[in-house]
Amino acid sequence: MADKTKSGLDAVDEGPISSEAPPASATGSSGDPNQHASVAALLATFGSAVHRHRIAAGDQFVVWIDAARSHEVLTWLKNDPAHAYDMMSDVTAVDYGSGRPLEVVYQMFSTTHKRELRIRCTLPLDGLEIDSVCDLWKSANWVEREVFDMFGISFRGHPDLRRILMPDDYAEGHPLRKDFPLRGRFSRAEQTRRALAQDVERFYLAEDLTHGMPQEVAPAQAAMLADGSGKEDS
Amino acid sequence: MATRTVELSVGQSREMGAEGRGARSPIAPFDIPEPEFGTEHMLINIGPQHPATHGVLRLVCELDGETVKKVVPHIGYLHSSFEKLGEYRTWNQIVPLTDRMDYLAPLIYNCAYVMSVEKLMGIEVTERCKVVRVMLMELDRIFGHLLWLGTTAIDVGAFTPFLYAFQERERIYKLHESLTGARITTSATRVGGMMADLPEGWLDSLLAFLDTFPKTLGEIHHLLTANQIHIGRTQGVGVIGAADAINYGFTGPNLRAAGVDYDVRKDRPYYDYETYDFEVPVGEHGDCYDRYLCRMEEMEQSVSLLRQAMARLPGGPINVSDTRISLPSKTDAMSDMESMIHHFKLITEGIPAPEGDCYMAIEASKGELGMYVVAEEGDTKPVRWRVRPPSFVNLSVIPKLAEGHLVSDLIMINASLDIVLGEIDR
Amino acid sequence: MGLGDMLPGGGDSKTTGGMFGAGSPTFLTSKVDALINWGRLNSLWPMPFGTACCAIEMMASAASNYDLARFGMERMSFSPRQADVLICAGRVPYKLAPVLRRIWDQMPQPKWCISMGACASSGGVFDVYSMVQGIDTIIPVDVYIPGCPPRPEGLIYGLMMIQEKIREESLSKHFEHRAEDAALVGRPRANEAEVVGLTGPFGNSTQQEQLSTGAGALADATATDDLLS
Repeated sequence: MADKTKSGLDAVDEGPISSEAPPASATGSSGDPNQHASVAALLATFGSAVHRHRIAAGDQFVVWIDAARSHEVLTWLKNDPAHAYDMMSDVTAVDYGSGRPLEVVYQMFSTTHKRELRIRCTLPLDGLEIDSVCDLWKSANWVEREVFDMFGISFRGHPDLRRILMPDDYAEGHPLRKDFPLRGRFSRAEQTRRALAQDVERFYLAEDLTHGMPQEVAPAQAAMLADGSGKEDS
Repeated sequence: MATRTVELSVGQSREMGAEGRGARSPIAPFDIPEPEFGTEHMLINIGPQHPATHGVLRLVCELDGETVKKVVPHIGYLHSSFEKLGEYRTWNQIVPLTDRMDYLAPLIYNCAYVMSVEKLMGIEVTERCKVVRVMLMELDRIFGHLLWLGTTAIDVGAFTPFLYAFQERERIYKLHESLTGARITTSATRVGGMMADLPEGWLDSLLAFLDTFPKTLGEIHHLLTANQIHIGRTQGVGVIGAADAINYGFTGPNLRAAGVDYDVRKDRPYYDYETYDFEVPVGEHGDCYDRYLCRMEEMEQSVSLLRQAMARLPGGPINVSDTRISLPSKTDAMSDMESMIHHFKLITEGIPAPEGDCYMAIEASKGELGMYVVAEEGDTKPVRWRVRPPSFVNLSVIPKLAEGHLVSDLIMINASLDIVLGEIDR
Repeated sequence: MGLGDMLPGGGDSKTTGGMFGAGSPTFLTSKVDALINWGRLNSLWPMPFGTACCAIEMMASAASNYDLARFGMERMSFSPRQADVLICAGRVPYKLAPVLRRIWDQMPQPKWCISMGACASSGGVFDVYSMVQGIDTIIPVDVYIPGCPPRPEGLIYGLMMIQEKIREESLSKHFEHRAEDAALVGRPRANEAEVVGLTGPFGNSTQQEQLSTGAGALADATATDDLLS
């Protein structure tokens, strides 16, 4: 919500919203789950792992599930013939700011049943880790890398978890987090100097071909990336 | 629903050329076993500044002779932080950012974004606005495919289709310009309607374009479809199966070329697309040639859709009448106190959104374009604005497609995916 | 009479210094200048460094309707080593900055640079963490073309401005014009204060505190010193 104390153009020219309190609808479910076969089935099969569900934007079903069991639930949604969500359209994350937990959002579609479903998992700021779904949907590969790059959420079991949009040695943090300033953490001169100090010869190294090999990203490294001040091996 | 397969007039059999003769490509490799020399693999870097990467894409390839053993794409060389910037902009201020994302088909992006916001806010746009938006989206599908056609033809050595395609694109540029004042960065839509209604005579210009465009398209067909070099460069190159294509996240013409009948306009219809009579071309081989044929056929379908939309274009207002959403007319704002207050509040504060999130997928020229917006109660700016870019996911398949092909095929495969880096890197 | 009179631009005011004029271009050099400049300006080979929307307008300029070939520029040189004019069309993020700098360093003298569009000239609407705020912080620029994106006419006009600039060049001033400090190769072109000033109080986004204002404030960041050395 925009700052009530500011008016006119001052109110427009302010940063992103970061509300203090969770929204009223953050707890409790709304909408009839029986309207959507998968929501009803999820509630019946994974009772405790399904936190809540609601209808967003008129007709879109959203289900919040337990992040610890997300892989199990998503595997079931993909493999159960009654649901068969064979298309993972999108994986993304949302940061509400003010120290509130991040949410990972899965947007799925079933080409057999022509049905879409949105799954959300809540991740506390001190435990930004969730299972990768790359083994189920290959399309999740790059989008999960993007979420890692932009939000610092690490995906367990991802084959190739590196920064994708920002340079490998980017030291300012994860840009889409609400505490990241729009212009970055360093001054323009420092950013320019760092950019030009990048070694273009690095483009011709055989190391680039080792990408895509399965590797583990240690949580310690992810945490280091998250605070943005540490050094990284590029 | 209309029949949804298209008769592929050429290339039905792997071995047959255009006139039923065997396709003897001049570049077909000779079937001579390669002697063992104990060679080592070579590393080659393509891009980020390279004419064949269609932007600032960088591909690192491992080659065995001329055969690609492995490709690793590197992206992010055009990362402009649209999504972060969107969090600092009010709902309507984001519109100009959207057309700088996919500058090959800007109006589709304009429409997709406002459709998502309208769905979040529960705004129902007017009938006229719906039809106008359908027209603009179909026009830009042609616009985007034409650029793909021109640049891809250059990649296989044919320069003439590029000139033909740009000749037609110039005419769409003129239509853009008379509607919005800009050639590429249109920013034509607003939440709850359009920036302006269609100008006088615009429909006549569009009709003139529709009358002559299929002729040029036929000429390009004539240049490429039965061209033995083109067939040799594209048939059987970059093949992907239907199940793999879905699993890897292919959408749009790329997915349909692999034989999957999935089009957001048919499967999740928006703006009454279910009432239009059009066919979705579906290929069967999943190679570069089928992708080419699908796009060529889609342009013809878009022409037909444009004609249908023109025929049913209703009158009436183009913007919703709700004063909290649409700007009042300039005359009202200057003379009527209440209108001026609405104008002022809309400009300075923006439109308040309800709490919630909304994912709206539409069929862009490159595939399923999803706009995901998240808002909290009363927000005039998004908490999160996420774009599901079709070519981002399409491009991630290139390591699988190019493996085992020649370097020259890698260029063709990359071209056939129809990527735009502004959207991939955002 | 002489070769110069048959050339476009020959017989202009510069030739009045006479063959032995001191301090000003001599008869001989001005004739040679006219010949060289005529050759250069009519066969400029552009190096299209196209990244975003402006690149599409650049393609439109080269295509049938606007036809850059009328100005001797139909040969788009995708290799910087054979190019005369760098046309930087589109946004340049920091990740791409070393590439741009390297391409500029690879181009042989004499060379010119066109910054096409708002984003290349000033960062445009993208006053954000990932974007270079104007390529003139990285490479020298001769002509800025405004617009978002500029129309093909704008690009053609910009190229004609470059031609005008070439027409005025002289062998006697050659080294003043073209000298480029070897120490600058691969380094930022603008000085620190200029670059910091780019995102000043008139930026188009919200005001914010920078965590550091320069290299000194970053001395504690261990990786920085290695990168700067």
